[in-house]
Amino acid sequence: MILAVALAWQVGLAACVPLLVRRFGRNAGYPLAAGYLTGAALLLSRLPVILDDREVAVAWRWLPGLEVHAALRMDALGLVFALLALGVGALIMAYCPRYLDGTEVEQERVYVTMTLFAAAMLGLVLADDLLVLFVFWELTSILSFVLIGQGGRPAATGPAVQALLVTVAGGLALLAAIVLLAVHVGTTSLDTIVAEPERLSGGPAWVVGALIIVAAFTKSAQLPFHFWLPGAMVAITPVSAYLHAATMVKAGIYLLMRFSAVFAGSWAWDGTLIAVGLLTAILGALLALRQYDLKALLAYSTVSQLGLLVGVIGVGTPAADAAAILYTVAHALFKATLFMLVGIIDHQAGSRDVRELAGLHRVMPATVSLTALAAMSMAGLPPTIGFVGKEAIFESLGEAHGGWWLGWCAAGLGVLASVLTFAYAARLVHGMVEGPPRQRQLREPSWAFLAPAAVAAVVATALGPTVAVLSPLVERAANDARPEGTPPYLAFWHGFTPALGLSLLTVLLGVLMFLGRVRVDRWLRAVPTTPPFAELLERARQALLHTGSIVARTAHASSPAPYLARPLLAAVALAAVAAVALPDLPAGLGGDPARPGDWLMLGLLVTALGGLLVVRSALAAIGLTGVVGLLLSAWFLTVGAPDVALTLMLVEVLTAVVVMLALRQQPRRLAHVGRRVSVTGAALLAVATGVAAAAGTAVLTGRDRLSDPGRWYLDRAEELTGGANVVNTILVDFRALDTLGEAVVLAVVALGLVRLAAGRPIEPANVEPAGEDLVLGLAYRVLAPVMLLASAVLFLRGHEETGGGFIGALLAGTAVGLGQLAHPGGAPLLSRLRSAPLAAAGLLTATVAGLVPLAAGRPLFTPLSVALPGPVPSLSTSLLFDLGIYLMVLALVVAAVRRLGVPPARPVVPSEAGGAR
Amino acid sequence: MSAAFVVGVLVAAGVFLLLRPGLLRVVLGFVLLGHAVNVVLLAAGGLGRRTAALEEVGPDTADPLPQAFVLTAIVITFGITIHLLGLLRRGAGGPTSGADPTGGGSGTESTDETDDTDTGGDDTGGNGTVGRRR
Repeated sequence: MILAVALAWQVGLAACVPLLVRRFGRNAGYPLAAGYLTGAALLLSRLPVILDDREVAVAWRWLPGLEVHAALRMDALGLVFALLALGVGALIMAYCPRYLDGTEVEQERVYVTMTLFAAAMLGLVLADDLLVLFVFWELTSILSFVLIGQGGRPAATGPAVQALLVTVAGGLALLAAIVLLAVHVGTTSLDTIVAEPERLSGGPAWVVGALIIVAAFTKSAQLPFHFWLPGAMVAITPVSAYLHAATMVKAGIYLLMRFSAVFAGSWAWDGTLIAVGLLTAILGALLALRQYDLKALLAYSTVSQLGLLVGVIGVGTPAADAAAILYTVAHALFKATLFMLVGIIDHQAGSRDVRELAGLHRVMPATVSLTALAAMSMAGLPPTIGFVGKEAIFESLGEAHGGWWLGWCAAGLGVLASVLTFAYAARLVHGMVEGPPRQRQLREPSWAFLAPAAVAAVVATALGPTVAVLSPLVERAANDARPEGTPPYLAFWHGFTPALGLSLLTVLLGVLMFLGRVRVDRWLRAVPTTPPFAELLERARQALLHTGSIVARTAHASSPAPYLARPLLAAVALAAVAAVALPDLPAGLGGDPARPGDWLMLGLLVTALGGLLVVRSALAAIGLTGVVGLLLSAWFLTVGAPDVALTLMLVEVLTAVVVMLALRQQPRRLAHVGRRVSVTGAALLAVATGVAAAAGTAVLTGRDRLSDPGRWYLDRAEELTGGANVVNTILVDFRALDTLGEAVVLAVVALGLVRLAAGRPIEPANVEPAGEDLVLGLAYRVLAPVMLLASAVLFLRGHEETGGGFIGALLAGTAVGLGQLAHPGGAPLLSRLRSAPLAAAGLLTATVAGLVPLAAGRPLFTPLSVALPGPVPSLSTSLLFDLGIYLMVLALVVAAVRRLGVPPARPVVPSEAGGAR
Repeated sequence: MSAAFVVGVLVAAGVFLLLRPGLLRVVLGFVLLGHAVNVVLLAAGGLGRRTAALEEVGPDTADPLPQAFVLTAIVITFGITIHLLGLLRRGAGGPTSGADPTGGGSGTESTDETDDTDTGGDDTGGNGTVGRRR
């Protein structure tokens, strides 16, 4: 339960951000940091349980049909990553207030998104079901996209999209892997899959392994997907430090660790991880060495260090797992510190270019010393945690099994990567120390700005000699990743081991490389750049977009006929195929017996439609369409559907009113029908579609028995719901969720209209005074109260007799329409109605009506009724629900009448219009 | 049998209107197609029994389920019609098409429509925020 609480706490923090920002302004970061630490403390309270090799878990049924549970579980591995997310998150939150001081970013948005991101990261590492993990995985990708593109800066859009494309592609790979696992292993429970790896074997195991690797490599920026990470550095520094150094990119590492128990010992898995990881480590370090922009240097350095981690995970011994976990912690600490410090330097000096920061240590000594401390950690120098981590990595790389040469190779590559790391770390510090200060007016930042970075730097250093503190947790976590023996106890000093020798070698070579940096630089410039994966991706994306525009070209025509014709043609073709290919039709179907009235109706219908096709007056066309609707509604009355008939009739009247209102300013005549040839073609297609539709209806409809559900409703409806109008009980009781969905569509249309017509306010000044009509005004005054009364009656009696929310609201809407026609400047009384509040109230009412039974221990949307004393009719949730429907339909009508009824605003000055574009 | 003919003529007329120039015709054609679908739905329940389901249930009682579907379908069609009308008023296809909304009027409407796009709160709002953040 504590896991759910921690997750909810984090989401709650995000929800509180607006309040905090209002109260504290920029300093909202400090309470948020405290909140993060509270969450971390909450999880840490379970540390004894976890060290005892028991786990903390909680699960709810989520998709019982697929046996998917919303399951959370925390073991030591999860705890390490969760603490990283919250701990580093707290530091970053404390860093934000001062950083955001000088920038123009929207602090509220940054805080909300980052806090949500922390929640997503927490969920990701605590998920015990792969689907849950996937949901959080995708959330981190999306939130990262939002944070990179934050503020919609044009420069950020491209990298943001690129990062999103790469990480989401990896997300798709993960989803595919999960589906395969669900099919072949029969469960999505992470615990089961990891505990019983033998259940996955053969071909599927290969595919799943490959997909997991792709997912992890995209997230953790491994070759060939590494390019998105440096691109993501357009984000503000807190985002880079938190997402793209400390946490999100570690999600891939986490995934690989989780699944290393499943694929342990497979040479393909191990080999891929070692080869790609170490290659990425070296390539990233080489690229970092070429950067002058400190942030870019750190980004490539992150790529490189992640590669080192992936390589170590591939080694697959308990010691290697422990090394990977320790180094993950170390990297998060020192890299976040470096990012924060570079952000400070950028903030103070206005530049991140190492060539412009010469002599910085004279004016900003504290900042530069902290940078040097963190850089020591990065370079793997004692006494920092980076040194301990790198020692552990060297030791485990040497143990890579699969031939003695493999261990040597791996260790050699690891040393090479570390030498390069040492070189760029030295360069980073040297650039700030060397030479006379360029900008003498610079000052140290305020201590509040520096404090978070200082804390992280000191912790990263102090954890070196005291690394034994971490030992129990790291040991336990390594055991969780791969239960195969106990990793060695972590210690600062192991004695004179080969790993120490490799560390010395690293330092030696690194120093040599630094001393010969001029030559190294020249040599680096000569090395060809890596294959331009980023450009390839960009080109592929452009090609895809281009293809899309080619496909869509025909849909851009000013007349919709060409593309509307295509689906119609397809329908006709389908009907033709069906006619040929389906010789056997179900018995019992074949059309209904017609009655004389039907033919009369058909005759009238054909006449009205014929007229509609030939008239050129817009008014006549609208009128004839209304006639068609009224004919149909009369026919519906004869086939025993009074509710439908009444609804259609009201809708027809309303449609006519709204169309008239909308077209008041439009030309009175319809467009010319067009050239003779195209008319003939359209007529042919129309006839063919009509014949197909008629044939389909004749063949496929017309059951002579009542359908089983229909029979059930007729028999049971009154007994179950107390309503005699079966159609209404279906709408508000049996299929209430459907009805709610449909009503929401209407509410959305209403809000859409409000948006579409935004900037076109209802002002009496906009309307010509001649709009008031005496006759209509009198009619409105007399009829509106009657209509409203009738509307109320129809609504209230809906459960028993013809009527209900839909019908009642339509009638009330007609009154509103009449009011608008009579008083374009705003009718008395009814002009006070506003569609957005109506829609909101309706949605709320209907939802509450659905939820009330839940509170009473019944399923959702079960009708409940409360008997009231005296003549007052009993109050039921059905009626309440119907009221919600009523309000939403009314919202739509009000929006239509109001928004379409007002003539378009007068043109503004053209230059102003041009400027807005 | 009559339902099939009703559907046939409604669909034919609706399709013809859809394929003709002028957006008002498209809206009206869409309304007719909506009617046709509603008739199909009712016919699917069977038109042999024609007594409303309000009274005692007898052998001639109509199936209430399709009626419930049709009832909501009618209101949804109304909503879509209104949305189409809103779009029609706003302009045929953005600033580039320059098409007259109803296809037969003078040029004044199109000026109005372009103007609407520009004074629209969301458009300027969006641009404004970008500009401010930059």
